[in-house]
Amino acid sequence: MIMSDRGDAAAMKKRLKTLEAQAKEAQSTIDELKSRDKLKTQFLSNISHDLRTPLAAIITHAEILREGMLGELNTKQRDSVSGIVNGGQQLLDMIDEILTYVRSASDQVALARTDFSITQVVDQVRLLNQALAAKKRLTIERLNGDDLPLVYGDRDKVKHVLGNLIGNAIKFTQDGGRVWVAFSRRGRDGEELVVEVGDNGRGIAREHFDLVFREFAQVDASPSRPHHGTGLGLAIARKLVELHSGTIWVESELGEGSRFYFTLPFDAPRD
Amino acid sequence: MPSRILIVEDSPLVTEAFEILFTEAGYQVSTAATVAEGIEQGTAAPVDLMLLDLSLPDGNGLEILEALKERGSPPRATLAMTGHNDAKSRRSCLDAGCADVLLKPVRIGDLLRQIKSLLA
Repeated sequence: MIMSDRGDAAAMKKRLKTLEAQAKEAQSTIDELKSRDKLKTQFLSNISHDLRTPLAAIITHAEILREGMLGELNTKQRDSVSGIVNGGQQLLDMIDEILTYVRSASDQVALARTDFSITQVVDQVRLLNQALAAKKRLTIERLNGDDLPLVYGDRDKVKHVLGNLIGNAIKFTQDGGRVWVAFSRRGRDGEELVVEVGDNGRGIAREHFDLVFREFAQVDASPSRPHHGTGLGLAIARKLVELHSGTIWVESELGEGSRFYFTLPFDAPRD
Repeated sequence: MPSRILIVEDSPLVTEAFEILFTEAGYQVSTAATVAEGIEQGTAAPVDLMLLDLSLPDGNGLEILEALKERGSPPRATLAMTGHNDAKSRRSCLDAGCADVLLKPVRIGDLLRQIKSLLA
């Protein structure tokens, strides 16, 4: 009996030592991964910033040419130079998206909260996307919200979230389709606003609901995919909504369109 | 006598583009790539408009504006330029006396209109 207890104790001690060694190893792997993740974030931040500067020069030079400041251009020449300006601008938007993501991922984003009208912001984003929607003969409607009270949050960040959601809806909806924004309230006293951005586009399969909010993830990530982008839009939207203590989710069926929802508080939290 | 614009920007590529733009628009142009050069250029001759990049190799662009104010020779107007749309740095530029804070890359049509109205 005594022998067996001793044997158990020795085995337990040995097991404990093994576990301790494994825990130490796991901790060191975690530290290593964290440090690599930090390096990756720093790299993305530096490279995005460094890409921005020569691109700004390219766009400015092309604009000088397009405006005819170095001599009048004929129509073909002006169209070609406009292509440089537009392509440069598109590239710049993508770089800015990466920079925003890097900042939000490394908690460098601080919210400047105020009370503001959500319908005004939605209408501004609709206006900004009007040209893009018109090209695909899409309508962007706001279905309700005229009587909503002000919401409490960072106006620019909420505008960014709406821009990403509406931009995606336009991108993934066929010509002639519909994109809409609608509001509802939830909570015991309706203290939370739910913003819905819907479309009747191609929809998302249920197994991809989580994937779409993950950074760099694209449902179709193949080089031949029809829609290009950084794959950061919804990850950024999620980060910015979470900074507001809100939640974001999607409801969709393939071929039936998608509805993205996010929540925002109406009032400043009371202590 | 054409108005004098001082471009403070550490990227030669961007400086060159602005130099062409302002010269073609009829302004007299000088350039600086550091805080030290900016202060030197700003005191050498009166500046009508300073286009000021905030992030410079030897410090923050606003240091130039502060130094020129201290020496009693501030530009008639200053437009700050930044790569980040961040509310805090915008506030500090406006508090330091900048007329506006522009997000890079600046649209040239808007920029020329704004300069024209600031120097009117």
